[in-house]
Amino acid sequence: MITLTPKRTFTVPIQAACINVDVFTGKTLQEIKNLSITEGKETITLNDAFDITEDKTIETPNITLTGDFSKVKRIGQGMKTGEIVINGDAGMHTGEKLSGGKIVVNGNSGGWTGSEMKKGLIEIHGNSGDYTASPYRGTSTGMRGGLIIVDGDVGTDVGCYMQGGLIKINGSAGRYLGFHMLDGTIYVGKDCSIRAGACMTGGKIIINGAVELLMPTFTIDSVKPKVKIDATQIAQGPFYVFLGDIAEHGTGKIFALKATNPTLSNYEKYL
Amino acid sequence: MTKVFNSVVCTICGCLCDDLEVTVENNEIVKMKNGCAVCEAKMVHGYKSEERILKPHVRKDGKLVPVTMDEAIHKAAQILTDAKYPLLFGWTSSASETQHVGVELAEELGSALDNCCSVCHGPSVMATQEIGIPTATLGQIRHRADLIVYWACNPWSSHPRHVERYTAFTDGRFEKSEFKDYVQKLKAKSGQKKVAAAIRRTRVRYQPPPRPQTALVEAPPQTLAKDGRRMVVFDVMKTMTAEVADYFVQVEPNRDYEIFGALRCLVNDQELDVDTVGGVPVDYLKEIADVMVNAEFGAIFFGLGLTQSVGRFRNVELAIALTRDLNRKTKFVVSPMRGHFNVTGANTVFAWQTGYPFALDFSQGYPQYNPGEFTAIDLLRRGDNDATLVISADPGAHFPKGAMQNMVKHPLITINPDWNAISRLGDVVFPTQWCGIEQGGTAYRMDSVAITLKKVVEAPKGVPSDEEIVKRILEEVKVIKANKAEKEDTGKQVLQETAAPKKRGSKTLKKEL
Amino acid sequence: MTEVLIKNGFVFDPLNNIDGQKMDIAIKDGKIVKKVSNERNAKVIDASGLTVMAGGVDIHSHIAGSEVNLGRLIRPDDHVKDVVKKTALTRGGTGYSIPSTYVTGYRYSKMGYTTVMNPSMAAMKARHAHEELNDVPMIDKASFTLLGDWWFALENIAKGDLEECARHIAWMIRATRSYAIKVVNPGGLESWGFGRNVHSIDDEVPNFCITPRDIITGMAKVNTMLNMPHTVHLHTNNLGVPGNYKTTIDTMNALESVYTGDKPIGHITHIQFSSFAGDNWAHFKSGAEEIAKYLNAHNHLTVDIGQVTFADTTTMTADGPFEFALYELGGHNKWVNSDVETESSGGIIPFHFKRKNAVNAIQWSIGLELSLLIKDPWKWFMTTDHPNGGPFFHYPRVFAWLYSSKAREATLKNCNKKAQKKSLLPSIDREYTLYELAIITRAGTAKALGLKNKGHLGIGADADVSIYNINPETTDIAKSYKPVRKAFGNAAYTIKDGEIVVKDAEIVATPSGRTMWLDVQTKEPCRIDDKIKSKFKDYWTIEFDNYPVTDHYLKVPEKIAIKASV
Repeated sequence: MITLTPKRTFTVPIQAACINVDVFTGKTLQEIKNLSITEGKETITLNDAFDITEDKTIETPNITLTGDFSKVKRIGQGMKTGEIVINGDAGMHTGEKLSGGKIVVNGNSGGWTGSEMKKGLIEIHGNSGDYTASPYRGTSTGMRGGLIIVDGDVGTDVGCYMQGGLIKINGSAGRYLGFHMLDGTIYVGKDCSIRAGACMTGGKIIINGAVELLMPTFTIDSVKPKVKIDATQIAQGPFYVFLGDIAEHGTGKIFALKATNPTLSNYEKYL
Repeated sequence: MTKVFNSVVCTICGCLCDDLEVTVENNEIVKMKNGCAVCEAKMVHGYKSEERILKPHVRKDGKLVPVTMDEAIHKAAQILTDAKYPLLFGWTSSASETQHVGVELAEELGSALDNCCSVCHGPSVMATQEIGIPTATLGQIRHRADLIVYWACNPWSSHPRHVERYTAFTDGRFEKSEFKDYVQKLKAKSGQKKVAAAIRRTRVRYQPPPRPQTALVEAPPQTLAKDGRRMVVFDVMKTMTAEVADYFVQVEPNRDYEIFGALRCLVNDQELDVDTVGGVPVDYLKEIADVMVNAEFGAIFFGLGLTQSVGRFRNVELAIALTRDLNRKTKFVVSPMRGHFNVTGANTVFAWQTGYPFALDFSQGYPQYNPGEFTAIDLLRRGDNDATLVISADPGAHFPKGAMQNMVKHPLITINPDWNAISRLGDVVFPTQWCGIEQGGTAYRMDSVAITLKKVVEAPKGVPSDEEIVKRILEEVKVIKANKAEKEDTGKQVLQETAAPKKRGSKTLKKEL
Repeated sequence: MTEVLIKNGFVFDPLNNIDGQKMDIAIKDGKIVKKVSNERNAKVIDASGLTVMAGGVDIHSHIAGSEVNLGRLIRPDDHVKDVVKKTALTRGGTGYSIPSTYVTGYRYSKMGYTTVMNPSMAAMKARHAHEELNDVPMIDKASFTLLGDWWFALENIAKGDLEECARHIAWMIRATRSYAIKVVNPGGLESWGFGRNVHSIDDEVPNFCITPRDIITGMAKVNTMLNMPHTVHLHTNNLGVPGNYKTTIDTMNALESVYTGDKPIGHITHIQFSSFAGDNWAHFKSGAEEIAKYLNAHNHLTVDIGQVTFADTTTMTADGPFEFALYELGGHNKWVNSDVETESSGGIIPFHFKRKNAVNAIQWSIGLELSLLIKDPWKWFMTTDHPNGGPFFHYPRVFAWLYSSKAREATLKNCNKKAQKKSLLPSIDREYTLYELAIITRAGTAKALGLKNKGHLGIGADADVSIYNINPETTDIAKSYKPVRKAFGNAAYTIKDGEIVVKDAEIVATPSGRTMWLDVQTKEPCRIDDKIKSKFKDYWTIEFDNYPVTDHYLKVPEKIAIKASV
């Protein structure tokens, strides 16, 4: 296990895609220390910014980051195997394009966490920022697979253009949850802000709390007693099931818990 | 000596009206024809401001003192090269020639680079990146459009000549001006006695009884069925533009997105499960959808009401999606109402040099783009940068408090013609010429047509153009960097010469530096 | 200025009938000369074992302008895949399908290209195009103005007053600092103003009482009257529609009716997109055989191909209705339409040409079938219609498909099965020689464009030279196509105006390159009285005085004066 601890408080952002199990594997401690990162415009070594120690007795997690990493971007970008644990906040683009392995954040995580993720697991025990699991600007292929678990709340535009996998949010979700979603599942434990599922054409969003306002472009389908989250978990209802987004001729589904959404009862007349 | 300049370009808004006639006496603009009130306020009066900066200033012991240009340039370049991550912000009231040098400076510095579009129509650009945009130059709309939709904007006040030059009140090849109709309407409104008769004659909307609180919309007026150009306004309040329009739809604040969604369904002949959307009854929206589908050529203009309210670029995205859907039935175009006269130019110039329109970062040696990550306000609020250069913009008056607090923690360089809020906060303050009045150049209209700005008066003595200032800073930055590299080289040599006792070597190095 | 001597290279210079002879090329003051004054003072390049050609001349590549830049702006997803770092000498930037301006210049130069034609410039947005071209270093460039749907032209053609039309066009060519007349989907763009299109060359253009045929023949005649160095540059009606090869043949016949018999009367651009047979997309077939047969039997035309290279690219054209039709086929996330008042329109769609897609693979095959079935290499030129068929830096791939049937086979093997069955390629064994390649990439294009000092290495020519690491004596290019392909993409040397700008595929100097434009002098100047001025005011939303592009917008202008016969 390699442990990194910041030497000082960072003001300008650090880009460190090299904090990645695939990169560290097979390198000596000295080689790891000499990996180059950028702090603002300046190129420095990993050792300039972090105290780095190695504990050969522990196998997993492969990398532990302790301290405030909220200014450190692109941790574990494109990682294929291994495990990173961050004991503190993580910066933007953490676990971007993850295609395997596991990242655990014992704190909050920045924007674009798990962006364009393909496989693997990201666990965030705090809140996660805007655009979690959403693709880069102008790209219309989002998260393809894997699992993201957020214990706290998430920001806006989470799970845009999602094509597969599961995002499990135990807190509440911001605007545009599952925007333009094609497939996959998003589960929200608490409330959900406006415009959930806007432009979605497939997949499902399960909301276990209050829906602030449902898009008018959704039409009620049925009331269901329960719904499957994944192979092992089932959410207990009853749920209103809405189909949409009909403006996109979509067949995505929003499951909104009946008990917490009395405002949606006026849709019952169409059943 | 009196001199008259024709076809002068106005440097206020994105309309870039280029038909001004400016009279200059003794190097002062004394009269202007054709311009709107806003234009006159700047080009006849505003530019002569008593608050004009005439000399470069540098902050010494907390006070701004006048210095020579050389000293200010050196100081600015030194600040920018010493910083780990500077931010260069502004650019939209400069000519594209200046913006052009700006990109090179940012690249040389490895800094962040952003323009004011991140606080106005940046979301429009982002929406375009998600979904594209069916648009047209303004003349196309003038010649052909029989339906004009102003959504969340108030051109009557913000772009005063937009309606007159490009849309409802202008004569095109295939569509005629509705100005006469409007004058009749006005007369009808002012002539108290003949109100009723005049209304009948001109088929102007009658004054409706006070609206009930639940429905925010009036009954559709008969004018919607008239021939010729029609104008529809969607807004959260009844603006001046709405007064002129044939139909006004009052939208609940922050509910534009829902209305776009509903309109899209209605245009595609789908039924909705709800009765009202965003405070507007669905039946009214159905009528609007019919009007849109039956237009020969429709144009939607949208403003900051979409881009800066809840939803931001997603609002615009749906406006574009609606336009796209309408193109399957008829011809429709959509266009943002760009604000600053050359904000489109900043997007254009940045894009051709780097591929990206704003929110740029050069810290990796190549351009990176990500609004939210590299946009000025986000960057400042997180406190990511450690020096700022502001050019032809006044974030001091417009940025949120948190962003400004972080900005002034670090050195600040400003390039502006007059003492505005940001200049007063600067550590290095440059004077500069008024672009389009004292200096020529190129600007891009809101539909990205490039127009040449004209110089009509001489700038005060010793006040350079912003292009020259940025160029000189760039040169100085290169010199400082070269000197630094040379020093490091000699440092290394010293290190090599004294290679044996390594520690002493590094000490020498430190001394050298 | 320093002198350069290129020694012992295998020179391919078709315009001077030099086919791989070993010889020296001497350069002085940016021009090719008989010999250098003193070999000791000259910079000597040992080119023994290397291939020497004139610098490449690209006849059709969208590198700058409003349309191109809008394409750039909407594709951050495309740029992020291909980033270019700044160096001490060169600027940074991004690719991929629409590289930023500096990167465009560097990449062209690295392939040994020195002149590029920017074929689609809306007149009203000419100022923008020139500002952008100034930022494309390393290469000489020129732009073609879109004039086929300009109201002034349409009205004059409808009136039958071609002389007046010619004078207006001469004014416009000067005002926009342009090099040729571009006609795109004549009549179709005007119809698109109200969301319609024309579907044959005899459909009437709404509101103007003329047909595309009138525009095509009228413009060809105007082009002759003005003594333009290049012919009319024509993008046909019905482009991109299955079965459109018939329209293309109609168009070519229409052009023949005004052919006078000395030099070609028209250039049909990216003809691959106009050579589709079959009634619909399901029965999509190649019409290459018919088109090639026609071209082999006639001499009044030149064409360029618009080869598809299988890339995730961005299609962009002034043909707005075509792009909308393409968008309606589905599967696209972005659509841009950009109409220009009284002149033109435009459309952009990101498009991924895939090997496994039947239509895309057939399109790839059509391009190559045309290239191989048209017998005379002086009649057709190699382009990808950058970025429509694929980005320009894919040219070496196209070369390989032309000079090596083995390369063709290798690609065809991975294509859609249905397309493989329909393809004529296995039945064609033609392989291009280096001499022929030099024709379709520089000699022929320069000749068709009327660029007298380009595309060859004769005395007095511009010293634009490219040297490739290919030894024609020891290499069988058809067999070992991969190293040759690599050599074409990484020039050993590129010389621009006598200055070495690329050495071993590295940029070593970054000159600006010139912008060529025509100063068309009509016998009688274009009548610009108050009546015409007020017409300008009615038609455009910018003032007459502010319309023309001034010299200020051309960094290094090269004015070419021509005398018109009207």
